[in-house]
Amino acid sequence: MVALSPIRLQKALQSVAQSIQWTYSLFWNPCPQQGVLVWGDGYYNGAIKTRKTVQPAEVSAEEVTLQRSQQLRELYESLSAGEASQQQQQQLQLARRPSAALSPEDLTESEWFYLMCISFSFPPGSGLPGKAFARRRHVWLTRANEADSKVFSRAILAKSAQIQTVVCIPLMDGVLELGTTEMVEEDTGLIKHAKSFFAEHHEIQSMPALSEQSTSNPAKYNEPPSFQVGVTMHRMHAEPTESDRQNDEDDDEEDDDHDDDDDEEDEIEGGSGSEVGTLKCSHMITPTLTRIEGATTPNAEHDELMQLGLSQNVRLGSPDDCSNNLNTQLQMVGVCCNTSGVSNHQREDETYHCWNFLHEDICSELQQQSSVQAQELSQEDAHYSETVTTILRHNSSRGDESKSNDYFVPSRQTAFAGWNSTRDHPQIVLSEGTSQWLLKTMLFRVPTLHCRYKDENSPPSIEGEGGGSRSRKGAAQEEPSANHVLAERRRREKLNERFIVLRSLVPFVTKMDKASILGDAIEYVKQLRKRIQDLESRNRQMESLTKTAELQRPGSSKDPNVPRGSGSPQGSGVDHVATSQLKAFSSDKRKIRVLEGTRVVDAPSTNVQVSIIEADALLEMQCPYKEGLLLKIMQTIHELRLEIMSIQSSSVNGTLFAELRAKVKEMNGKRASILEVKKAIYRVFSNS
Amino acid sequence: MEQQSSTQESPLSTNPFVYTFESPHPVYAMAFAPSSSSSSSAAAAASSSSSPRLALGSFVEDYSNRVDIVSFDEDSLSFRADPGLSFEHPYPPTKLLFHPSPSQPLLASSSDFLRLWRLPADPASSPSLSPAVELRCVLSNSKSSDFCAPLTSFDWNEAEPRRVGTCSIDTTCTVWDVERGAVETQLIAHDKEVYDIAWGEAAVFASVSADGSVRVFDLRDKEHSTIIYESPRPDTPLLRLAWNKVDRRYMAAVLMDSARVVVLDIRSPAVPVADLHRHAAPVNAVAWSPAAPRSLCSAADDGHWSAAHPDAIDPAMLYTAGAEINQLQWSAAHPDWIAIAFANKVQMLRV
Repeated sequence: MVALSPIRLQKALQSVAQSIQWTYSLFWNPCPQQGVLVWGDGYYNGAIKTRKTVQPAEVSAEEVTLQRSQQLRELYESLSAGEASQQQQQQLQLARRPSAALSPEDLTESEWFYLMCISFSFPPGSGLPGKAFARRRHVWLTRANEADSKVFSRAILAKSAQIQTVVCIPLMDGVLELGTTEMVEEDTGLIKHAKSFFAEHHEIQSMPALSEQSTSNPAKYNEPPSFQVGVTMHRMHAEPTESDRQNDEDDDEEDDDHDDDDDEEDEIEGGSGSEVGTLKCSHMITPTLTRIEGATTPNAEHDELMQLGLSQNVRLGSPDDCSNNLNTQLQMVGVCCNTSGVSNHQREDETYHCWNFLHEDICSELQQQSSVQAQELSQEDAHYSETVTTILRHNSSRGDESKSNDYFVPSRQTAFAGWNSTRDHPQIVLSEGTSQWLLKTMLFRVPTLHCRYKDENSPPSIEGEGGGSRSRKGAAQEEPSANHVLAERRRREKLNERFIVLRSLVPFVTKMDKASILGDAIEYVKQLRKRIQDLESRNRQMESLTKTAELQRPGSSKDPNVPRGSGSPQGSGVDHVATSQLKAFSSDKRKIRVLEGTRVVDAPSTNVQVSIIEADALLEMQCPYKEGLLLKIMQTIHELRLEIMSIQSSSVNGTLFAELRAKVKEMNGKRASILEVKKAIYRVFSNS
Repeated sequence: MEQQSSTQESPLSTNPFVYTFESPHPVYAMAFAPSSSSSSSAAAAASSSSSPRLALGSFVEDYSNRVDIVSFDEDSLSFRADPGLSFEHPYPPTKLLFHPSPSQPLLASSSDFLRLWRLPADPASSPSLSPAVELRCVLSNSKSSDFCAPLTSFDWNEAEPRRVGTCSIDTTCTVWDVERGAVETQLIAHDKEVYDIAWGEAAVFASVSADGSVRVFDLRDKEHSTIIYESPRPDTPLLRLAWNKVDRRYMAAVLMDSARVVVLDIRSPAVPVADLHRHAAPVNAVAWSPAAPRSLCSAADDGHWSAAHPDAIDPAMLYTAGAEINQLQWSAAHPDWIAIAFANKVQMLRV
């Protein structure tokens, strides 16, 4: 097919962008030398300097935008003279004006997008233009700004530029690309309309007739079954979720949905602004609002376009189709790569799938990230843009001579084997923790080696840098001191723990500081010793008692004839003494803790001991048993932000003994005091 | 280090286009000379003046380490170690690089400090007499800061050979003017240790860090840096970075414990343009082709070395060394040769 002359092409691009009121139009030319599609020409029709608030293609703005496209070209040309194709350079020469060149900071995001497009090139089958070119079918991408970079290589740029819809149409011998910041559903009418501009120019120049491809393409597009009558061309999306929902529904339902949407749209188109407002709830819609308003304003050209859309529209632009497009796009990337590489073609499907699956897990994360990134970027855009342009400028001038060969060609004597995805590669079983061993050692361990070694043996210093080694010593000391702090903390924790244990063993503690605990413990040990002595002496006494009883008893038993009644008082008397003694003993034994623990309160009445050392608390209590009492106590101390770690409890003879250990958490920056805890527990006792 | 030639076909493979050199020490750092010493050199008599030359840094976890200079004769297909050019190096060098210009016989190494070594212009004239390599300078930042932290890597700016950028575990990157032997600027580049640095332009460099980000710095505006990529799982350190010297739009990064190579396009930050993951084990090194703008190779623990195109999924070709490949260099002067290092072996592979 014969290409339009540069000037005609430019005019056509301008007309088409202005006619459909899209942000930009581009033409991708195949570059035979490199076998890729490169930027041919473009027309920028979007916002200038200010963000997207102005209605594009206002008559007054038209000249400005025309000039702007040229300025943008000049800017890019000045930045990367070498990259432009021959034709483009001629074009640039024609377009060159004495006007001051723009600098990257003057650009809006969408202008930046437009400018950066110039630096892209697409092998056939790769990227949206490449895909459209290879398949001889148009590609319609909506939500380009949310697309994965895998699908749409310029997604990040599109995001900051808020380019939502990108269409690539194979045309003549290249690809026409149209993009807009608005959300526009796929529409063959629009495609046809866009093509007509290029056809018109052909006719005007009485050039050969329309290309076969462009005439045959609409026919291809009539094949898909989801044909629909009377659908307006600009279908709205209230929210992404709505479209997601639609994805799940059948075709029939979808048709219904579309009808609903039509109704909505009819309302909008004929209706008041307030109605329009009620429909828009998400930020995505804002550009659409502009779009609709644009549609309602009398615009002859636009109405005509609408007519076209109404009469011939075949709906392909449902979200389903869109996502299918994306998938096939991905696949095409895979295929393209395989053909450009050395790998075998039979495996391309498997290759693709494998790749796709592996990517799924990271894609979502990446997308989240990228949204954050995009925000950051927009702030620092000017700075980073400048950096990128600098690199690109030098890049193109440097990369020119090697451009012809993008991939290295292995020599015939290569040491390498071709990649075969099915081949079983000899797997080396790596033991745990050895991955990237040397790399990690180099990065993580070797630096510490410097510090350690210098500190230990101060080796023959070639550099003789006193300052360096001195400071290194300081750093070397830092590390042990950090370790020391850690060890000290551990030691203290252990100590506190032991104190708590000791505290729990000592049933009476006057004060809660460590000195008092130790003092009380000493006192307690003394008491225990005394008690042992007492008990031992009492035991001896008891033994002698029982012995006498034994002595007496055999006597009585020697005389079995002695009436029971006569002997029993005595015997029972002895018995009584013995048992009472034993009782006293056993009760004493039981009382040991009670007695010594309660100097004030008599057993089995209420007694509460609370000790708190730093974050560790020990609670001992004794009280008349009541049902649910322990639970209430636990609740109470929980409210005081004491986290119970362990509980030991028992109830004997209607007395509840409980020992609780707890961690004291901070509440409003302070911990509960012993008094508070005690009071709270007594309150529970009295209330229950 | 005394061996004159130790060329043999690798016992691990019968591949006739692989040439193995056995070093007396384990090898980590490795660098190709921009070309052999100047053409006027008498060494041309002994070996072809265009033969690839390698600097090899030993890896011994101690103070005493060595750097050896080894030439590879493309005619006899044999290695020739030059004991006269071997020199002691304090600590294992984390990286070695020759001056980008062949006319400057300078070798830089990083470990505790950045050091510049001057190689004799004519190695053949003074064979193994005195140590012919002279330490030209030690670049220490200790004057401006109390502590010159160990260096993890550095890069020589090819567009502006006065500039060498170093990166350190103290989160900084330092740009040196090696002609003056002074610090040009020091930037707190990251939140954590910086592991690698690469120049993209005379005044633009990028770095990777334990904080999991790739950041781009422009020396014309030191107030800003741009995070152009963050590892997908937060805080996965990024260990290695390679900026494509032919097509500066691309750079490749290696993640810790990851079999992936992430290829980034500076024009579309945040989302990698490619994610190459055909290795079966974590990747250790990555290098771009010095000639073809869209080819790169990577080496991994699985012992594979593979060459791939950043926009392709599968590698174009593959070489299996049979051991964990730790280092990988693609000769800029001889784009048909790649050198890999594993254990104490260095192999030259014809591409």
